[in-house]
Amino acid sequence: MKAQALPAVELTRVSKNFDAVQAVRELSLTIQKGELLTLLGPSGCGKTTLLNMIAGFDVPSGGSIVIDGRDVTAVPPYRRETGMVFQSYALFPHMNVFENVAFGLRMRKMAKLGIERAVGRALEMVKLEGFASRRVGQLSGGQQQRVALARAIVIGPKVLLLDEPLSALDKNLRRAMQLELRELHERTGLTTVFVTHDQEEALGLSDRIVVMSRGEIQQVAAPLELYRSPANGFVASFIGEINRLPPARCRIEGDEAVFEIAGHVVLRARRREKLTIAEGQETHLFVRPEHLTIATSKSSAQNKVSCRVTTHLYQGAYTLTRVDAGPLGNLQLRALGGEAIAAAPIGSQIEIDIDLDEAVILAG
Amino acid sequence: MRPRPFFLWFFLPSLAAAVLLVAALGEIAQYAFRVFTPGSLEVGGFTLDNFARLARPIYLSVLGDTLLISLATSLFTLLLSYPVAYAMVRAKSDFLRSLIMLLAVTPLFTGEIVRTYAWILVLGSNGFVNTVLKSAGLIGAPLGLLYTRFGVIVALVQFSMPVMIIILATALAHVDRNCERAAANLGAGPAQVFRHVTLPLTLPGVVSGTVVIFAWTMSAFSTPQLIGGGKVLMISNLVYLQGLSSFNFPFAAVLSLLALAVAMGSLGSMHPFVSRLELKAAIN
Repeated sequence: MKAQALPAVELTRVSKNFDAVQAVRELSLTIQKGELLTLLGPSGCGKTTLLNMIAGFDVPSGGSIVIDGRDVTAVPPYRRETGMVFQSYALFPHMNVFENVAFGLRMRKMAKLGIERAVGRALEMVKLEGFASRRVGQLSGGQQQRVALARAIVIGPKVLLLDEPLSALDKNLRRAMQLELRELHERTGLTTVFVTHDQEEALGLSDRIVVMSRGEIQQVAAPLELYRSPANGFVASFIGEINRLPPARCRIEGDEAVFEIAGHVVLRARRREKLTIAEGQETHLFVRPEHLTIATSKSSAQNKVSCRVTTHLYQGAYTLTRVDAGPLGNLQLRALGGEAIAAAPIGSQIEIDIDLDEAVILAG
Repeated sequence: MRPRPFFLWFFLPSLAAAVLLVAALGEIAQYAFRVFTPGSLEVGGFTLDNFARLARPIYLSVLGDTLLISLATSLFTLLLSYPVAYAMVRAKSDFLRSLIMLLAVTPLFTGEIVRTYAWILVLGSNGFVNTVLKSAGLIGAPLGLLYTRFGVIVALVQFSMPVMIIILATALAHVDRNCERAAANLGAGPAQVFRHVTLPLTLPGVVSGTVVIFAWTMSAFSTPQLIGGGKVLMISNLVYLQGLSSFNFPFAAVLSLLALAVAMGSLGSMHPFVSRLELKAAIN
């Protein structure tokens, strides 16, 4: 084993109860050095509680937390050397930008000259050179965000903890900050735990994503894998948009898996190696909107379903079309551009093709 | 211009109140410039002698005592109230918070005279403090607590604490807990978090509380009257002696104006200081 493989953070059967509520249940997770790991889940799933336990603000009801090889379960926050960026930034309003960033170094009794140099470097890294003497109140949301980041990274934390840091920014700024965060991560190589409820943000930023629900881990995977092969229905419907088809019965016919839905709709898919569904078993099919297409008379696709168009949502780069597919329920299609709006007017009867090769197939 | 539907309804009564207050003050002010005729309630013509009389050592020492007692009271009140306010705001259980609140504020609802008599019982030669100390064998003869500046200050501190606690609790409740967490995250232990974050962020409350108590104590009357027993004189007691024992209305008026000027001066000097602190502490 390489020395590098020593994990940055190790959580072992960590639990947290608030009175009768179990916020986190016996959760185990290993965070590798240098990776950007995202805790993703709906509000109340325990992701922020988990982050607070790593920082030491919440004491676990059970289990242990090891940071950089040292058991810190009972260590107070100020001796953990984590760097936290709060959702509200929590900048010190009575200090200017320099004093805010220098705070952690002052607490570490660093010499004045060293502090000045380190703060200068940190401000440069977040592109706030020349802002050192500004009051915190004079900064925009995005700038406050950068100060909070600089303040956290300047101490060289063992792990950088980001608690929904972008949620207060408007959409454009948010996208720009996502890119910057990723670049900053590449440059600093800091182990980073990022908490968010925004799946797009998670997919875009992370090396690995931990999907959480009700205090438990649903799946840990790289973004691509998570999107293409979610482990269960929760992950499938939480990550990206997806159509959930009614329960189907599966049988194998040579090279094909055949799904019978609601008695008479038959959909076919190529058999995959990974597919481990037995003959006759009830299965759930999840299909992404981009895998549904409007069928043309020429196409020879095998999974044609007739349906009625109910709405178009034009989004610029693509159009979301909602159709009523009778026994299959309401489905969403995503097509590039806006041609679908003219090709399939609202109310018209059309045929769509369901491509099951990329579909998520889960045993009932 | 925006319509202000209730403006007149609020403005007229406040105008009436203001006129009454200013008229009363004007009456006192005009007394200050009149000649005192001993043995008569009638005052004579215009003079500035009343103001010159202020420079006499005996009156200066009363003024000095008043300032000293007010200063000591506001500082001790601050030191004793801060921990109480902190405990009240930060108590985890609702019950504990309500209990502290109740205990802290109850003294406000007992009359000043009642509270003062309670202190006489506590501080007197056969009072609570002396009895306890004597039976513990710590002292032979009772300590003279009553009729001293110390006794007056003790009682004034207790009267001032509820107000100070409320002012400080308000300031503490507005401190962003995440700022304290951020400081801890950056390596500050509990004492450093308090020194570098909590205390600076509550400084506006600390200053305004101290000045309010200082100005309030400047006008204390019944406490120094009863607990000081004539041996501790504050300006109000001197006004009482001059006005209602010697019937020297002009000099009593001068003393009143002096007390007013000192109180207003201290409040006024606080203003720019506090607004600067608040500007510093303003979030966003």
